[in-house]
Amino acid sequence: MSRPAEPPHIEVRGLTKRWVTRDATIAALEGISLTVAPREFVTVLGPSGCGKSTLLSIIGGLVPPDAGEVRVAGATADGPDPRKVAMVFQDPGLFPWRTALENVEFGLELQGVPAARRREVAKGLLEPVGLRGFETRYPRELSGGMKQRVAIARALALDSPILLMDEPFGALDEQTRLLMGEWLLGIWARTRKTVVFVTHSLQEAIMLSQRIVVMTARPGRIKASLEVTVPWPRDLTGAEATALRARLWELIREESLRALEAGR
Amino acid sequence: MRVLLGRAAVLLVALGAWELWARSQNPLLYIPPSKIGPALVRVVRLEAYPALPEHLGLTVVEVGVAYALAIGLGLGLGFLLGLPRHLGEIYEPILSGLYAIPSVVWYPSLMLFFGLGPASKIAFGFLLGFFPVVLAVLVGIRSVDRHLLIVARAFGAGPGTSFVKVILPAMTATVVAGLRAGLALTVVGVIVGEVLGARAGLGYLINYAYGFLRTAEYAALAVLVLVLVMAVDGLAALVEARAQRWAG
Repeated sequence: MSRPAEPPHIEVRGLTKRWVTRDATIAALEGISLTVAPREFVTVLGPSGCGKSTLLSIIGGLVPPDAGEVRVAGATADGPDPRKVAMVFQDPGLFPWRTALENVEFGLELQGVPAARRREVAKGLLEPVGLRGFETRYPRELSGGMKQRVAIARALALDSPILLMDEPFGALDEQTRLLMGEWLLGIWARTRKTVVFVTHSLQEAIMLSQRIVVMTARPGRIKASLEVTVPWPRDLTGAEATALRARLWELIREESLRALEAGR
Repeated sequence: MRVLLGRAAVLLVALGAWELWARSQNPLLYIPPSKIGPALVRVVRLEAYPALPEHLGLTVVEVGVAYALAIGLGLGLGFLLGLPRHLGEIYEPILSGLYAIPSVVWYPSLMLFFGLGPASKIAFGFLLGFFPVVLAVLVGIRSVDRHLLIVARAFGAGPGTSFVKVILPAMTATVVAGLRAGLALTVVGVIVGEVLGARAGLGYLINYAYGFLRTAEYAALAVLVLVLVMAVDGLAALVEARAQRWAG
């Protein structure tokens, strides 16, 4: 894929983050530098606890970095800015007292969009995700996959150019996960958002992204950045995908082992 | 339906046993259920106590004032201590400890402070109703899912918006349960206060009937109080059920 000549949407330079607990200081991220172009779909792949979620929280402005610079859509990120960045988390985090529709409306409500308008937008977002007829259901009445689709619709409602996704399908079963991936690709093709997608699944990374950034075990550093050249629609069993998978596994195996040792 | 029938059967058997036993005892002290009905009719028709409406009215006013105070101060103090996280951690065990003290021990000092009139009943009703409310607020705030607050922040909510759109709705069920418990206890507090020493009110009337060995009327008044408390609590339960409809 040829890189557009536009300035990058996300620029992270020399990012460092430490967590201070009562008895130890944990280096979560160390010297992370990462650039994401507009409309690019990047997955961040790493072993559990490598700080990939922290990285996403920092880009999203939820957590301040200790050192380094984070620029999002041209400006230094100093707090969440839903007009630029929408976020989806592994735990969908739907508000249990709001219906599916009201959950999707949440961000627009905060921005003061009139009720009729935001209802219209929310309905328009729930329909293509297969949730027509579920508008007035409460989260507890929805399956895991449905909840996450509502959460994604809630993020899309912001109509921000950047979408940050923190293992959004991590809690779903394998089949649902694959279907949700296909569905997300459809959305990405339509909306052409810049997506940063955190995962620990090789399969998911290969299936979804244009580029895969591999992180080391804690403290998280960037170990490699690989372009995914497997043609769309992607055949995950083909030679190219298999070779990429082997290469990724080689990169991440050592880190996963280290994470496992450290976790003992 | 079967459960209802079962309950009715248990009740009938109990009443029957009571009837049989009470008939063999001193009728001044032991009242069979069959005598309570007529006494209740006399009480409700205002034949036994023509001033019953005034007594009832006073009790209702005392409960109303005490409950309003319990809600106002309970919610106010709850949010004041609960929203800054550390204050809640400091005060909650203290409040729980105070709540655990048998509340009747406070009553003599309340009578000393507030006298025999309605003020001491209001104070006692308030004291009983206040703790469940303030504790419910503290527990409610503490149990708000932190993740929802993070989500709200990511969507642009500041502290004020988070409070209104996340914290308040998330704690509604807990707080409403506390309000319900507080209401029941306020009623108990006011009536117990009246029984222990007063010049008017339902509790006073109960004590009066008892003191003059008008045992059937005493029992009838007790039934009246029971019905009132159940009606109030039933209403509160309806409100609570509504508030919990969405909470899973």
